[in-house]
Amino acid sequence: MEIVLALAIGVLIASGVWLLFRPRTFQVIIGLSLIAYGVNLFIFSAGGLRSGAPPVVDPARTDPSLYADPLPQALVLTAIVINFAMTALFLVVLLASRGLTGTDHVDGQEPDQ
Amino acid sequence: MSALSAHLVIAPIVLPLAAAALVVMIEQRALRVALSCAAMLGLLLLSFTLLIGAANADTALVYRLGDWPAPFAIVLVLDRLSAMMVALAATLAMATLIFSLARWDQAGPRFHALFLLLLAGLNGAFLTGDLFNLFVFFEVLLAASYGLVLHGSGAPRVKAGLHYIAVNLAASSLFLIGVTVIYGITGTLNMADLAARVPTLGGDQRALFEVGCAVLGVAFLIKAGAWPLGFWLPPTYSAASAPAAAMFAIMTKVGVYAIIRATSLFFGPDAGQIGAIANPILLTGGVLTIAFSVIGLLAARSFSRVAGFSVLTSSGAVLAVMGAGGQQALSGALYYMVSSTLAVGAFFLLIELLNRARGTTAPPIGAPVFDDEYRDPYEDGAPSEEVGVIIPAAIALISGGFIMCALLLAGLPPLSGFIGKFAMMKGLLEEQAAFAWALVALLTLSSFAALAALLRLGVEAIWASAEATIPRVRGVEFAAIAGLLLACVVLTTHGEWVFIFTDGTVDWLARSQDYVSSVLPEASPPPQGPPS
Amino acid sequence: MPFAGALVAAWLPTHARNAAAILASSVAGAALLCLMLLYPESGGIARTDIPWLPSLGVDIILRLDGLSWLFALLIIGIGALIVLYARYYMSAGDPVPRFYSYLLAFMGAMLGIVMSGNLVQLVVFWELTSLFSFLLIGYWHQSANARESARMALTVTAAGGLSLLIGILLLGQIVGSYDLDVVLAAGDQIRAHALYAPALLFILGGAFTKSAQFPFHFWLPHAMAAPTPVSAYLHSATMVKAGVFLLILLWPVLSGTDLWYGVVATAGMATLLIGAFGAIYQHDLKGLLAYSTISHLGLITLLLGLGSPLAAVAAIFHTVNHATFKASLFMAAGIIDHETGTRDMRKLSGLFRFMPITASLAMVAAAAMAGVPLLNGFLSKEMFLAEAIAHSAGTHTNYLLPVLATLASAFSVLYSVRFIHTTFFGPPPSECPRTPKEPPHWMRFPIELLVLICLLVGVIPGLTIGPLLASAVEAVMGDAAPAYSLEIWHGFTPALMLSLTALGGGVLLYALFGRRINNNPLGAPPVFHRFYARQAFDGFMSGLVEFAQRAERLLTTRQLQPQLRLLILAPLVVSLATALAAGGIVLAPQLQSIDPVFALMWIIGGACAVGAAHQAKYHRFAALVLMGVAGLVSCLTFIWLSAPDLALTQLLVEIVTTVLLLLGLRWLPIRLEELRSYSPASRLRAALRRGFDLAIAAAAGIGASALTLAVMTRPASEPISRFFVENSYAEAGGRNVINVLLVDFRAFDTLGEISVLAVVAITVFALLRRFRPAQESLGAPSQQVRQNAYDAASSTREVGQTLHEYMLIPRTLMQWLFPVITVFALFLFVRGHDLPGGGFAAGVTMSIAFILIYMGFGARWTETHLRVLPINWIGAGLLIAILTGAGAWVFGYPFLTSHFQYVDVPLVGRLPAATAMIFDLGVFILVVGATVLMLIALAHQSIRTPRQRAPEPAPVDADAAPAPEPKPEPPDSNESAP
Repeated sequence: MEIVLALAIGVLIASGVWLLFRPRTFQVIIGLSLIAYGVNLFIFSAGGLRSGAPPVVDPARTDPSLYADPLPQALVLTAIVINFAMTALFLVVLLASRGLTGTDHVDGQEPDQ
Repeated sequence: MSALSAHLVIAPIVLPLAAAALVVMIEQRALRVALSCAAMLGLLLLSFTLLIGAANADTALVYRLGDWPAPFAIVLVLDRLSAMMVALAATLAMATLIFSLARWDQAGPRFHALFLLLLAGLNGAFLTGDLFNLFVFFEVLLAASYGLVLHGSGAPRVKAGLHYIAVNLAASSLFLIGVTVIYGITGTLNMADLAARVPTLGGDQRALFEVGCAVLGVAFLIKAGAWPLGFWLPPTYSAASAPAAAMFAIMTKVGVYAIIRATSLFFGPDAGQIGAIANPILLTGGVLTIAFSVIGLLAARSFSRVAGFSVLTSSGAVLAVMGAGGQQALSGALYYMVSSTLAVGAFFLLIELLNRARGTTAPPIGAPVFDDEYRDPYEDGAPSEEVGVIIPAAIALISGGFIMCALLLAGLPPLSGFIGKFAMMKGLLEEQAAFAWALVALLTLSSFAALAALLRLGVEAIWASAEATIPRVRGVEFAAIAGLLLACVVLTTHGEWVFIFTDGTVDWLARSQDYVSSVLPEASPPPQGPPS
Repeated sequence: MPFAGALVAAWLPTHARNAAAILASSVAGAALLCLMLLYPESGGIARTDIPWLPSLGVDIILRLDGLSWLFALLIIGIGALIVLYARYYMSAGDPVPRFYSYLLAFMGAMLGIVMSGNLVQLVVFWELTSLFSFLLIGYWHQSANARESARMALTVTAAGGLSLLIGILLLGQIVGSYDLDVVLAAGDQIRAHALYAPALLFILGGAFTKSAQFPFHFWLPHAMAAPTPVSAYLHSATMVKAGVFLLILLWPVLSGTDLWYGVVATAGMATLLIGAFGAIYQHDLKGLLAYSTISHLGLITLLLGLGSPLAAVAAIFHTVNHATFKASLFMAAGIIDHETGTRDMRKLSGLFRFMPITASLAMVAAAAMAGVPLLNGFLSKEMFLAEAIAHSAGTHTNYLLPVLATLASAFSVLYSVRFIHTTFFGPPPSECPRTPKEPPHWMRFPIELLVLICLLVGVIPGLTIGPLLASAVEAVMGDAAPAYSLEIWHGFTPALMLSLTALGGGVLLYALFGRRINNNPLGAPPVFHRFYARQAFDGFMSGLVEFAQRAERLLTTRQLQPQLRLLILAPLVVSLATALAAGGIVLAPQLQSIDPVFALMWIIGGACAVGAAHQAKYHRFAALVLMGVAGLVSCLTFIWLSAPDLALTQLLVEIVTTVLLLLGLRWLPIRLEELRSYSPASRLRAALRRGFDLAIAAAAGIGASALTLAVMTRPASEPISRFFVENSYAEAGGRNVINVLLVDFRAFDTLGEISVLAVVAITVFALLRRFRPAQESLGAPSQQVRQNAYDAASSTREVGQTLHEYMLIPRTLMQWLFPVITVFALFLFVRGHDLPGGGFAAGVTMSIAFILIYMGFGARWTETHLRVLPINWIGAGLLIAILTGAGAWVFGYPFLTSHFQYVDVPLVGRLPAATAMIFDLGVFILVVGATVLMLIALAHQSIRTPRQRAPEPAPVDADAAPAPEPKPEPPDSNESAP
């Protein structure tokens, strides 16, 4: 289980990083999103993995060992939201840059090689 | 602590936030300006009240949000360091806001809202005592800063903004990873709790913890613009509009602050070997940063780049001194940080006027392309290009301001820049700190480089173009710059107060256990729990 | 104190030149008065301490002993005369007040130097003098020459100041205090200390640059671009003496070692000769004087270098004398310049019959410079020669010293004679711009006074200079002061012989070479003109800049990709290093069994991620879809691992993000495979680069996996989260711990998070106000073009009808869906506190509903029909959240303290009503506002009409079409909606 998740995170981050290095803004934004997926899973995994734990606490039985660690989940939620905002912002900026500079290269100009 | 003062602690965050929320909804510009100025003024007074309070109290003022016990929910911690940073931010922001009233706040919609939110983010980052909350507020201030970089639009800003955002998004992921590792290992996010738990970590856990800290540290270094992670800084700063750039003078300091905070808590004297790993990194990073800034200063072709590299110099100096160790030097470094932040801010504002005097204006404001049926009801009119009235002595005032800025940035006598550098050098030499000599030499070099660059540019800008058009300048703009420079003068004349304060701060930072005990009254290292 | 008075006066607003002059002279007079009052009785030290930075051991100590009193007298006295002189010298056109203010400020700074009792304070004033001399040299900043000279002077002297600072730091570290008196008391300790050598060298660096010692002498002649009063004051009488003063001041503690002798004496001798030799060849009056100043400074330095007390006495004495006669000479030169309009000695001649008084004054002063008996120059020079002899007598190695000394004096005689002869004698000047005449009397007065002093000191030294000198000497050497006599006639001592030889030799030399020198075209010594100082300096500076720029290009980059590479590499390296330093991390996982379905799920997910990475360049849409799938898989993971909240939110965010990206795709350029054909070389380079990137990416992935595994399988310390589980229901009244965490335990995070959302929405909006699409993507997308073309073709249809019909079904669907989704959103919101859901999820759902409306009916319809002002929603939401938090204050609780109870609502059942829910409501509203705002702003672009240029007719071929996807994108469907 852990192995799978770890590998999954690895793959997500690897492909994200790869895209991060590419010259086109759209590639970069996709890359950032992939990295975000990876990071979210990573945060989540930090609480340890539990399948089949009840989603909400039963007032009667408040033994923490029964439930998945809630804190990382809360963190992930916050992270997701912030990430969503940032993605939107980056998207608009890259559109603006593409409009103003006429290219979608990350440096705002085609590489001269 | 009285109830009132207890609630004051959170005010620096809530006040600008609420003001921003209102400003967003207000239609009339005059009202908006009034509101944000009022909020700013309040913030200024507030921050100094807190500063004085912190200076007198020898403990941290802890504010438990939601009234939940300390290690679990989020706490705000106001100690000498955070109080100092908050006051610094408020001072700089006040001047910048006043300056921007002349022109820039109309260059794009909702300048005031962004500005206030930026402040909220800054103060939150300074005050919070929770690692993840720190991340959140980093994001707040970054988001606002993105908005400010792009403020006024135009191709160069958008280009620079794209890089800036991309770099910082990547950095934020690093931040998250670091935080996660730390939580996964220690099982807590509260900094004080962390500091308490660090010594109890077993070898293997400790190794992982250090990895987490390393990743986190890299994220901070990126924010602080340390070489080789700070390439985004000079272009961004020179592209940004004057007020934004001035505010950025403190934003790098947030990274520096975070590093100071983290190292003093986690890698404190009782943290053992971790410090041994952190310091060399800081030292080398700082030294490289200063060296790079020296080169950049010598090479700089425009004022704004000089200013940008001066920002690097100051943060690099603080980092290096931290790495080198030594109480007195660190206190000097704090002093230097304050003075240089104000000076660079003033310089960024001054550059605008200088450029106006030379006829070359900052990157133009992108004009709206569409005539909209869908109008934004709160849109201000386009900024009036002809700003202000001709002040006869404008040139003279500008030159005077320039000379002061030059002295401050180059760290030449008699102004506070010199005192800061002198204090650092003295401390380094007396405490026989690591590589003291290299550092002293570097600091001197950086002084020389700044002097040479400013001379080269200034002579040709101010003297050679004697027939330049007398710029149209608003009184408020001078007022803003004068205010900042005045603050520097006060730093000079009453330097002793500042040093007493910074010495106390350094001393307080060294006593991390006091920090812990003030946050966690019943601080006791938790037992090694079973795998949860 | 005079220092304060002068500085204060300096910044007074002054208008007319008279007013300025009067003000300045009055200040000087007052200062002089104070000084007279403060005349120290023998050995007395007037001292005032003003605490400044005690913690740094830096205080303002004003300290006045015999030596500094003598110097202060020079500064103020000559300063006063200069003020008077300048009043007539400066033309009415110049902004005289500025001049005087600089001058006074300089005077203040200079006094600060000589009177400072703290070494750091001395450095401060030191740099200040550099600064003001810079301003004064550049006073006529219209001329490029003045600017450059000023720059050079400041660069050199300020650099010297920095070196001095380091030296002082070392000194302070040796002694443990910067207080001058303490330092002076610790002579032996200093000389014995290991740091003595560096300290000495750094201090000398400061002193030599300041008083233009070889090899730093080059800036002084260029400083002559300043107005003559400035040259007379700063660059002969006072500022250049600062270095000498420092040497004298520290003479007791630093001198007496071989190092001192070797460096100081050598530098002094070199300067003496070079200066004298250079002075001979100058054609410019001021140039000649400047070089002679250099040589005299060299002489003083040499005397100090010798290290014997008597030599030091001579040095002090000569400093005073030189100040008097050189200042008067400069002023005379200034008069000549002022009256004739030129300073070129080749043009000048025979001025004696035009201005006899000035001429005779100048002659006396020049004679003093040459060391003619009965003048003050003679006395000090004779002492110098005597010292030279005495010293050489001691060490048999160098008989060189007296010889060189004599030679130098001969030179000085030579140029003095030349100065007099060429200027005042010979035929009347032919090519003067103006016909010379006597200057106004008050302009001449300062010279008269100074020359008088020269005479008096020369004739009756004992009565005039004697006591002052005595007290100064005593101040320096204390009781170790040697016995010396200021008699004119010592009998036929060898010194007298030498000076007579020098006199005769000088005259003889002039008789022999005078003509050739006067006709020398270069106006510079035969050998030395090759090393032209300014070129060297400029070359150095520009070289520095050049180097720096190259280095910068090497060290930094303006491109994004390298930065990001570094950004990823840095943490990898650092964390790896840390891990290794910490002795490595063992991955000892006790793993749960792998569920095949889960694995399969992630095989798909991973494949999609990689696919997205691969497709993102050319097939954006495909990449988008693949990315979406990867996102879905992580949603499933969340469900699988019992985190329904995450899954829900992730899913919703997923949808909105995708829509946003789709809206964005329309504006991106079409990209076809193989955009251009690369040369094989660049191909190879590209391949290498990609390989490198791949390596980094792989490393990052592996690192991430390892880290995850390590963290997951590490026995963590007792996490704080147990508290939340235990108290979620009991204390906070919510069964959904996650939601309770968000709105209560860690509500502050949420507050920050929603403000991020608000900021971003505002920014996006502000940015899109100025959005400027690229030309080629302005046109309508190809599908629509085809449809419209089809409509236009067939007679029975009007344009846009196809699209209209095409969108009919979805539109109705969405019309029906809207309320449903709204209800669902509210449902999510209400149950949030107890079951998965909550404000954020609800908000996003709500905004999805809006999106649907947009897609179905088009932006225009929507914006006209439902009047949302999302900005207001944002503000309101934020405000509600804050007020909820602040509400707790009323009850005296900290911010965000929540209160709850359960209420029974008929038909709905038992509902939790916590104040936290109001907070959540704020979140909800803000999220809706922000999301909708972004979507509107983006979607709206397609229906905006460009202002400047009309949209070019949309090309029918696919080039202008957005990235290849078959189905019509939402925003474009708006274009022809009713």
